[in-house]
Amino acid sequence: MPSTNADAAVEAVDLRKTYGSEVALDGVSLSIPSGTVYGFLGPNGAGKTTTMRILTGLSQPTSGSVRICGLDVSDREKLAPHVGYLPETPPLYDEFSAREQLDYVGDLRDIPSETAEARIDDLLDAFGLVGDANKRIGTYSKGMKQKTAFIQSVLHEPDVLFLDEPTSGLDPRAARQIRTSIGDVADSGSTVFLSTHILPVVEAVADEVGVLFDGRVVAEGTPDEVKSRAQTGGEGSLEDAFLAVTSDETRLSGVADE
Amino acid sequence: MSLRRDVRHGLRIGRAEFVRSLRGYASETRRIVGLLLLLLFFGGNLLVSLPVVYVAGQSAQSVTEIPFFGPVATAIPVVLTLLATFRTLERIGRVEHESLVLTTVHPRAVVVGLITAEVGRIALWFGLPFAVVAATFTAGLGAPSLLVTATAVVVPLACCTTVWGYAVGIAVLRGFERLPGVRRTLKVVGFVAMVGVVLVSQSVGRSLADGSLPVDTLAATLTFGPLADFLALAFVGTPLARPFSVAAVATLAAIVALTPVGLVVATRQASALWFADRASGRDRDSAATVAKADGSPGGFSTPKPLSATKGGHVAWGLLVRGVRHPQKFTHLVMLVFFLGPLGTTIVQSSADGLGPILAASGAGLGTYLAGATFGLNPLGDDRPQFPMLLLTPTAPRALVRGRVLAGVILGVPVAAALPLATVALGTSPLSAVAFALVGVLMCLAAAAFAVGIGAAYPIYEEREFWGATTVVPSTLVLMGFMFVVGPGTVIGLVATWFGVTGHLSATPLLAGGLGLYLLVTGGVSYGSYRYAIRRYRTYTFD
Repeated sequence: MPSTNADAAVEAVDLRKTYGSEVALDGVSLSIPSGTVYGFLGPNGAGKTTTMRILTGLSQPTSGSVRICGLDVSDREKLAPHVGYLPETPPLYDEFSAREQLDYVGDLRDIPSETAEARIDDLLDAFGLVGDANKRIGTYSKGMKQKTAFIQSVLHEPDVLFLDEPTSGLDPRAARQIRTSIGDVADSGSTVFLSTHILPVVEAVADEVGVLFDGRVVAEGTPDEVKSRAQTGGEGSLEDAFLAVTSDETRLSGVADE
Repeated sequence: MSLRRDVRHGLRIGRAEFVRSLRGYASETRRIVGLLLLLLFFGGNLLVSLPVVYVAGQSAQSVTEIPFFGPVATAIPVVLTLLATFRTLERIGRVEHESLVLTTVHPRAVVVGLITAEVGRIALWFGLPFAVVAATFTAGLGAPSLLVTATAVVVPLACCTTVWGYAVGIAVLRGFERLPGVRRTLKVVGFVAMVGVVLVSQSVGRSLADGSLPVDTLAATLTFGPLADFLALAFVGTPLARPFSVAAVATLAAIVALTPVGLVVATRQASALWFADRASGRDRDSAATVAKADGSPGGFSTPKPLSATKGGHVAWGLLVRGVRHPQKFTHLVMLVFFLGPLGTTIVQSSADGLGPILAASGAGLGTYLAGATFGLNPLGDDRPQFPMLLLTPTAPRALVRGRVLAGVILGVPVAAALPLATVALGTSPLSAVAFALVGVLMCLAAAAFAVGIGAAYPIYEEREFWGATTVVPSTLVLMGFMFVVGPGTVIGLVATWFGVTGHLSATPLLAGGLGLYLLVTGGVSYGSYRYAIRRYRTYTFD
């Protein structure tokens, strides 16, 4: 279990989440330093989304505690300015245009209108959405929606950005754009918590990786560390390591504690 | 400071939600046409009634002369609270894209926003007509101040009842989350209660009309004095004003004070609901587990004689899916509104008439089921499967025919068995057989007609309808189906009754009328069926 670190952007201690007799999370602890891109991996049903909902304060753990930037996540009012969250399904309103949507979120985030306008223009331009900014989101492609939702999640320049499958289903160009932006966000000092199944993305951008399996973190460290601890050999990829740690948990039960 | 910020955020959310609703109303030409039809119908009625309202304003002398003022004044807050509760259960209990909104603003802002948007929608749908009526009455009365005083009375009342209705609705939703079994039970209880209310309302209407109900005693019992006094404040400064009452002012003060209290309660309830684990997810899991346990061993085997044709296979598939997902048929509850008058007629009919009325009702019910169950949104139902269905060698004709057949399979037993069963109640065998035969033919016609009218106006979006999320047919289509099939069925059944009881003599006029009826019924149904096939054949994902 990682030690409690006051400087950590994300600090989760012994999170446990149960639904009746079903255990979704079983003693998950995380300590992610500021400015880190943390790749959060795990097979379907491992508990990744549950973890992200708890880390963003949208769900409460059965036991354990979470602090984001030193703030208890139960204090949502203080937490809100510090986090951005892009869930798997982009939270966009089809009836709005991208510009209206971003203006709306800017208002709710209390970003001064001039600042918001400048940031929206810059980000729309960076993502190549200026020409479509006034079209209704209902008419957008999946990639355009995902890019708009990404802009929305970073509009207030959060300290910690939670991304759930941000590149899923995107064409290579759009996926690369998001991937580059993740790096930019991290370079600006923010922490990125990236949950995805697309392992090359994690390999390309993550400083640290955590593998969740059956509600427990079974491997954690830099991508190279995880690969070597998973005993895949020096030539093994992250995919090999992922398959190894999630197929024979007992063999690696000590990996996270190493 | 925080409250002020939350209110500001709430008003922003309210504005956004309201705009989204408006854009939703106008998102399709067909919806706009539907709204225009509604406007034409209700707007026309309103315009026609305005002169009466104006004259009522001119002739009104005292608020006590307004019929049933006391019970109505008592009922208004109750109805507004119930309306808000039901709207919360149905629509505004949760905000769309919770993950965005709840990580951005305080839940109190979301509550304020949802309530604001709802008040805006209610003001749009009911407030505008109400304002027109109030303005006309005021003009007749010659006391313009009525508009101001009425607003001063109605706005606090509307805010208070909406906030408390929301709080109650959220509390009920929390209860449902904790006890999913209660939700299922209440659905059944609610349905039965609604049938009861419709039936009772028919009897009450008749009793009021024939004077057998002690109206004055009832009105006095149902009046809550302080509320009536409070609403009478709307007439202060007009010729209708009643003496000032301390109870009225105390009620106003209580309403104003209770509103923020209600907001606090609603916010706490909403926070607890939104940040709790969704029972529905676990329900789905357990439902999936149950389904897995109950399983379907083996392949899909269509029984004979349906297995003889592709249409039969399609029909069997629809029936199996219907049985496993009965929420698909929630739109059929519209029938309840017709059961009320029918039930009263049956109850009040003489012993001689009971059998034939039941026989005809059975034929009518079967006809309704044959068309409405599977036919009213064929493209919407099939759309998720179209990439597979339209790329198989099965002709669109078989898909439509299967849907018609499924409806017929469901409707015919009802249309045939009920009339035949009424022989035990004294219906002559000839009448029973005639009703059954006509019922069967009606089923065929209704099922064929339904697929056409349903294909003309498909609905693709899943909606929450009577507590179940499903793709339901458009209300416009449902009403259109009823307005065509209802009278058509009644004409056929009445003609059958006169025929079997010997009240019809063969004349050229009768033959012509009957021929025309059969031609129209058969022609419209067949044309509708062909149209549905064409829509399937030319369907594209646009």
